[in-house]
Amino acid sequence: MTWDSKLIDRANQIIELYPQKRSALGPLLYLAQEKEGYIDDDSVVEISKLIGITEVQVRSVASFYTMYKQEPSGKYLISVCKSISCEINNSREVIESIKEFTGLANNETDVDNTFTFEEVECIGACGGAPAVQVNYETVEGMTPTKALELCKYLKEEVPKVIVADHLQDKFGGTKSFDWAIEDNSGTSSTAPGFQIIGTSEEN
Amino acid sequence: MTENIKFTVNGNELEAKSGELLIEACEKSGIHIPRFCWHKRLDPVGMCRMCLVEVETPRGKALVPSCTTEITEDLVVDTESAVVTKAQEGILEFLLINHPLDCPVCDKAGECPLQDQTMAYGPGESRFVEEKRHFEKPIPISEIILLDRERCILCARCTRFSDEISGDPLIEFIQRGNKTEVNTFPDEPFRSYFSGNTVQICPVGALTSTSYRFKARPWDLKKVSSTCNCCSVGCSIELNTSQNKMLRILGEDNEFTNQGWLSDKGRYNFDYLHSENRVLNILSKEEDSFSKISISDATEMIKNKIAELDNPNIKFILGSSSTNEEYFVINEIANYLNKDKFLSKDSSNIYFGDDLLFEGYFGDQYSQAKLEDLDSSETIVVWAEDIKDNLPILYLRIKKAVKNGSKLIVFGHTNTAIAGLADFYFGKDIVSNKFELIRNPNEIEDLKNNIEGKKVTVITGKSTVFQKKESLDKLINYLNEKAELKVFNSFSKGNTFGALQNIDEVKGLNEFCNEFDTNAKNIVFTIGVNPVNSSYFSQKIKENLIASDFVISLDLFVNETTELADLILPTTSLGEKEGTVTNMEMRVMKQNKILPAPGSTLSEWEYLVSILNVLGENVNYKNEIEINNYLSEQYKNQEKVPTFDNLNKPSNLFGVLNKKDININIKDLKEDNFSLLMVRRLYGDSSTQINSPSISMLGAHKFIELNSTTAKKYGINSKVGNFIQGPNSILINIEINEYLPDDLVIAPINRRGFEDIDPSLDFNITEAKNREELNVN
Ligand code: SF4
Ligand code: FES
Ligand code: FES
Repeated sequence: MTWDSKLIDRANQIIELYPQKRSALGPLLYLAQEKEGYIDDDSVVEISKLIGITEVQVRSVASFYTMYKQEPSGKYLISVCKSISCEINNSREVIESIKEFTGLANNETDVDNTFTFEEVECIGACGGAPAVQVNYETVEGMTPTKALELCKYLKEEVPKVIVADHLQDKFGGTKSFDWAIEDNSGTSSTAPGFQIIGTSEEN
Repeated sequence: MTENIKFTVNGNELEAKSGELLIEACEKSGIHIPRFCWHKRLDPVGMCRMCLVEVETPRGKALVPSCTTEITEDLVVDTESAVVTKAQEGILEFLLINHPLDCPVCDKAGECPLQDQTMAYGPGESRFVEEKRHFEKPIPISEIILLDRERCILCARCTRFSDEISGDPLIEFIQRGNKTEVNTFPDEPFRSYFSGNTVQICPVGALTSTSYRFKARPWDLKKVSSTCNCCSVGCSIELNTSQNKMLRILGEDNEFTNQGWLSDKGRYNFDYLHSENRVLNILSKEEDSFSKISISDATEMIKNKIAELDNPNIKFILGSSSTNEEYFVINEIANYLNKDKFLSKDSSNIYFGDDLLFEGYFGDQYSQAKLEDLDSSETIVVWAEDIKDNLPILYLRIKKAVKNGSKLIVFGHTNTAIAGLADFYFGKDIVSNKFELIRNPNEIEDLKNNIEGKKVTVITGKSTVFQKKESLDKLINYLNEKAELKVFNSFSKGNTFGALQNIDEVKGLNEFCNEFDTNAKNIVFTIGVNPVNSSYFSQKIKENLIASDFVISLDLFVNETTELADLILPTTSLGEKEGTVTNMEMRVMKQNKILPAPGSTLSEWEYLVSILNVLGENVNYKNEIEINNYLSEQYKNQEKVPTFDNLNKPSNLFGVLNKKDININIKDLKEDNFSLLMVRRLYGDSSTQINSPSISMLGAHKFIELNSTTAKKYGINSKVGNFIQGPNSILINIEINEYLPDDLVIAPINRRGFEDIDPSLDFNITEAKNREELNVN
């Protein structure tokens, strides 16, 4: 879908933050993902016009980084870390229990578009391994049982906004370190919640 | 000047400039380091790691890529150590993991850097037993380029070329890791004027040309260096033939001109040589149909006609594809035929078939610019037709200079590609006829600072045929006074400068129309030119040719002009004749012969010499060399005469700069406010292009450009419409370009259908109505 004037306004505000237009590419791709759940061709065209680079240059970046989705995801994108710290802290079993609950293999989305499941490389939460993300909101100190509870919660309660701190309180274990300030903002889409580009939501 | 510094390679002490890349410095000293991604005309990226060498560092020996390592004082390098050899083998083994090794069916085999370097540096055996990566192959990424993604080794030469050099990055890497591939965006094909260069620099057979695919093996090709005649940059090329067929044209790296690059027009415009439409016999018209006759009958016929008409006006309209030697002979015959009639010099009978010819800035007053001056200019000023469409490689040279810091000031009627690079752009409001600084309008002071006392190169011409020379004069005078000025005249077609140089006095097509006397007896020669198509004066010229008593056309095809002729003398073309051409710097370069003249075609000079002989003037030039000797006598710099001999030496690929006074006699056309601007596009409907199947479709698209306000005035909402003038109605695509001023419509002059349009007359644009009409694209 082409972008409406509201979204274009938001995009222009983001572009203003940078000395060069093309530097806004990363955040603009998140806008597209927030809107469509993935980076669709129409958004690529819009972005290329907004920042003056070619469509294929936009697509090149969008397809390089795995956090930009190239296909529609479910409402909740569950990413489980399988890199070394998590692996030695039992992420295998966390993965297995999520797979069992959702019935999904790596990189699959279920039929009613609730879950997309993916195994990912280190998400920078090694101190709190094993770590899981729901729509890029991180929960640390996961266990297979807590992971099941997390999935059930998502499926039954269908929370509109996902907030890391809330998930951590409910389902998490040891944290890598205390982030000190309570953060109430999360995300209501599969784009990571960033206040500065307006993809985060208050809860 | 950067100081030379010493460094050691494989135990030998060498010298290089500080900051020079290791791979380049070694190359200069004869030490070849294998590479895939590094290319001397592209920025280094260090993508492929094939160029790893060992250098000594404070922490011991280390492998570094020589294409990204700059030479430092006393650097110690080993390019042949056991570690280096092992690295090279390893890299090649990795590169070959996913490479299909389909060399037997690959066009590149035999000249493939991957094949050659695997032979020279590879491990010899593969340990890879797993399944290779597969892609659909090949996929067309444009009308003329195919991509086999399986073969790609991800060197990023093609993507860097399109980004850094040509500035139209329509191909990029997609995905990452093992899945990485080069590709385009859906519905955005790799439509670049320069796309063929990526085929030439791809180090494997991933990018191929439709025109050459499966045509030949490199070891079967016959090759000769020559000079391209598509525009007046005069790019150095290599002609490749097999079994007397031209199969491919490659760019040669000539430091002074094209630096290895070619426009796709220059690269792919050759299929016509073997077109079945080509005229291969002398044709004489009897009652509206042509029949074959012999050369002796033809020359007799001309002689009789001249006698019968009793002192007729004999006029010559020339094209731009003749060699200097041919122009020299044309000048001779023109002088001979008119010796009784025209005694004074100001009544030349030779007209050049280019609408945009103007008097130019030659002579002692202005110093002739060379292409290399662009690199050292602090400021470049362009006042000409769209450079990208008319002098594509000059566009690349300007783009390079701008990238390296030269300031660019552009004056133009429309927002053209070159204006996109400009620091200061003066767009012309076609209605009020005033140039206004559009970009950075508050920085006139800054603009002055970039001109006054600076090294300035100006590329000057006309942006439309109707422009007055006066305004250009003002600009040139100002620049000449304030800056250290060098001038290019931007006559863009083929060997225009060769014509100006070898013909005593040249006039324009407008003069032809003005001077044509329908009450007199007229004989007209057209030589390699089709002014009845793609010219502002098409209609008038057509009328004049029809009114002429006898028309003789020397050409390759039956086209809008030659079909009006009474006699068609079929001529030779690129690769079938030998001679010199002169480029926009006045550099004289060699065109070489590699194909036999097909059928009973002859070179233009051969026809003209036989005509002179039949008329009783005894000229006996036996070959091009003899003509070249005569014409060289007129050059100013007699120590460096561009003879065939010295231009053929490889060291003189670059040609010899040479000059002679130039005499153009053209009156300005009246300048009115036009709302229709006809511009020349790179691709069009020239006889050579429409008879070259691999690129003919590139010039087929008919379109006009206007802004949305103007579109509204014509009541147009759809993307297709009709362009109407008098009895002509052309189905067109309508492209909205908001950069254009209100009330201006831009149309291509060299596209089918527009040949009968007169920009000075009224026209109308309507929306397409029925379904059939809406189906055009
Ligand atoms: S297509 Fe050829 S030039 Fe382009 S990245 Fe692949 S190997 Fe290099
Ligand atoms: S290894 Fe899992 S977060 Fe770093
Ligand atoms: S040539 Fe140096 S890394 Fe490719």
